[in-house]
Amino acid sequence: MMFFDTALTTNDLIFLARGAGMTLVVTAISVFFGTIMGIAFGILRHQIGPWWAAPLTLVLDIFRSIPLLIQLVLANAFVTTVLGWRISGFTVACAVLSLYTSAYCAEIVRGGIEAVPPTLRRAARSLGLTWRQDMTSVTLPLAARIALPSWIGLALGVMKDSALVYVVQVVELLKSAQILITRLQEPLFLLLICGLFYFLISFPIARLGGYLERKWSND
Amino acid sequence: MFNYNFRWAQALNSLPRMLEGALVTLEVAILSMVIGISIAVILTLFRLSGSRLLSAIASTWVEIARNTPALFQIYMVHFGLGGFGIHLSPYLSLLIGIAFNNAGYLAENFRGALKGIPETQTRAARSLGMTPVQAFRYVVMPQMLRISFLPMTNQMVWAILMTSLGTVVAMNTDLYGVTSDLNARTFRTFELFAIAAVIFYLITKTVTLSARLLAARLFRY
Amino acid sequence: MKTGILASGLMLAAGLTTPAFADKLDDIISANVLRCAVVLDFPPMGSRDSNNEPIGFDVDYCNDLAAALGVQAEIVETTFPERIPALMSGRVDVAVASTSDTLERAKTVGFSIPYYAFENAVVANQNVEMTDWEGMRGKTVGATAGTYEAIWLEEKVAEWGEGQFRPYQNQADVFLALSQGQLDATVSTVEVAEANVASGNFPGIRIVDKAPMVPDYVALITLREEYGLINYMNLFINQQVRTGRYAELYEKWIGEGEPADLTIPGVYR
Repeated sequence: MMFFDTALTTNDLIFLARGAGMTLVVTAISVFFGTIMGIAFGILRHQIGPWWAAPLTLVLDIFRSIPLLIQLVLANAFVTTVLGWRISGFTVACAVLSLYTSAYCAEIVRGGIEAVPPTLRRAARSLGLTWRQDMTSVTLPLAARIALPSWIGLALGVMKDSALVYVVQVVELLKSAQILITRLQEPLFLLLICGLFYFLISFPIARLGGYLERKWSND
Repeated sequence: MFNYNFRWAQALNSLPRMLEGALVTLEVAILSMVIGISIAVILTLFRLSGSRLLSAIASTWVEIARNTPALFQIYMVHFGLGGFGIHLSPYLSLLIGIAFNNAGYLAENFRGALKGIPETQTRAARSLGMTPVQAFRYVVMPQMLRISFLPMTNQMVWAILMTSLGTVVAMNTDLYGVTSDLNARTFRTFELFAIAAVIFYLITKTVTLSARLLAARLFRY
Repeated sequence: MKTGILASGLMLAAGLTTPAFADKLDDIISANVLRCAVVLDFPPMGSRDSNNEPIGFDVDYCNDLAAALGVQAEIVETTFPERIPALMSGRVDVAVASTSDTLERAKTVGFSIPYYAFENAVVANQNVEMTDWEGMRGKTVGATAGTYEAIWLEEKVAEWGEGQFRPYQNQADVFLALSQGQLDATVSTVEVAEANVASGNFPGIRIVDKAPMVPDYVALITLREEYGLINYMNLFINQQVRTGRYAELYEKWIGEGEPADLTIPGVYR
């Protein structure tokens, strides 16, 4: 093995780091917009009841029922080939991943809200709080606490899933590693670097999520 | 409205091949779940064994499976093991990659489920004369699997979706592989992948609905 | 929500497309940039240097075309299966990507006259007994999905009724699999096979035989309806040969010898 005798240069490491940066940027944008939309969809679904929310539920369900790879390929083909827009692969990747995130996030938010005891909310309302006040000061803070560990899991999931955006010509971490493998032919070494990068980001945050879950489930 | 000529007829001609691919997809997903659940049970036993080494093995497995992309795991099974002279066919590479991932996630679910089963039950079983393995096999495990039924259904859906990653290891008989093969020849990307998306949707819906029906029958009390 | 995006998108699209009826040739010149899809795991036609910058015959060819148009060249890396989708989706203007001019593809994209012609070779793992191309019968073989070689090889395997065909997503994975012994053999252009054997990057591979295929004429591609650009590219290729630039690039990237003949005796174009 070539673990210590590698042809990898500083230039190559910078190239890899740029790929890693792309992974993080795509993830950050998608988690940010996905979460905002997810919260909106989640509250909406809870508020208007399952019957009225059915169309929304159905659409969000689609994002959770077909492979992300197909969502990316299909959205890309639709937007660029069928509609003929000039849009970068980066934009398509972020848009699809945001919607994908929002579909899962809406579930988490709804679950969080439903876990807040209705009696508590009725008590809040009977104290004279408006729906808005109840939402912002009572329900959402409690729901957020319940939902946070799952949300952390979701955000990490999106980071790992962002490895698929190579299909719309976005050069993220795994793709940059592949480009270097083509030139240097050190597949195992480069892939291990790549795997380690995901692991080093994901593992501590996942641990934090687990810790919060344990800590908050006790009181 | 669109400056694009849809050629649905041409794409629909490929429907029989795609449906055959769907069967392969389902087969890989089911096998990966069977293997994944078995390994997850073993990993759970490792963690309960009290042996440092065994629980370290289990934790390493779980953490790698959960903290790296599935695409990476599948690629590693094929080209990583290939570097050591272990050659797996595309089918096996994909199957093992997904099973590896399933086992990691399910072992973690099982651990969560075990928390809901009081320790006193094991002790009661032991005091009835059961060996630790018997106590696990007849008292703990059935409850563990029951509590984990919903997460297992979710993982099954994930397994179906993960089969789409097989093209990186030259898999070309599953639904995604067939579709991408047809696309490489005819370039009717939108039509072909739209059909594939519908088939995937129908498969995952069928699986979740039957799981729900099954759960209603199995856990009626 | 969805309709919102759609509606605003449609307005955007309308705003972008209504003003002029310029064709792609005009668009490229007014944008002052020519975006070429090039496959960069296909040395000597396309690869990367030690700074990870694109180099190769196709890269130079794209630069020449851009220079002729008087615009900047932008190299967009694609894999073989992705090059036509990249073109269709408007991410690139042309593909200078060793694209074989098959009739199936001509249903979707527009081809120039050939700018290069490959012969294909059978490359095998050293540990596999094989003396000629028919030795591939019954073996595990593979090629890059969707390429001329892949289509030929898959048909052969089907015809033989034994052995296995594996389509990998890029050329590098094919040679990696071959070098690891996951594949017994592949079919690849002579130029690429020789470059990969010579580079030493893939230990344990050897060239066995020429593949009995019709020479693989490759052309520049753009959208099917862009006759202006296709016409321009045809003349450009003619000029490359006429001025000796073609021979010069051949010597630079492939080596000594007679550059591949781009004409077919007995037929026009």
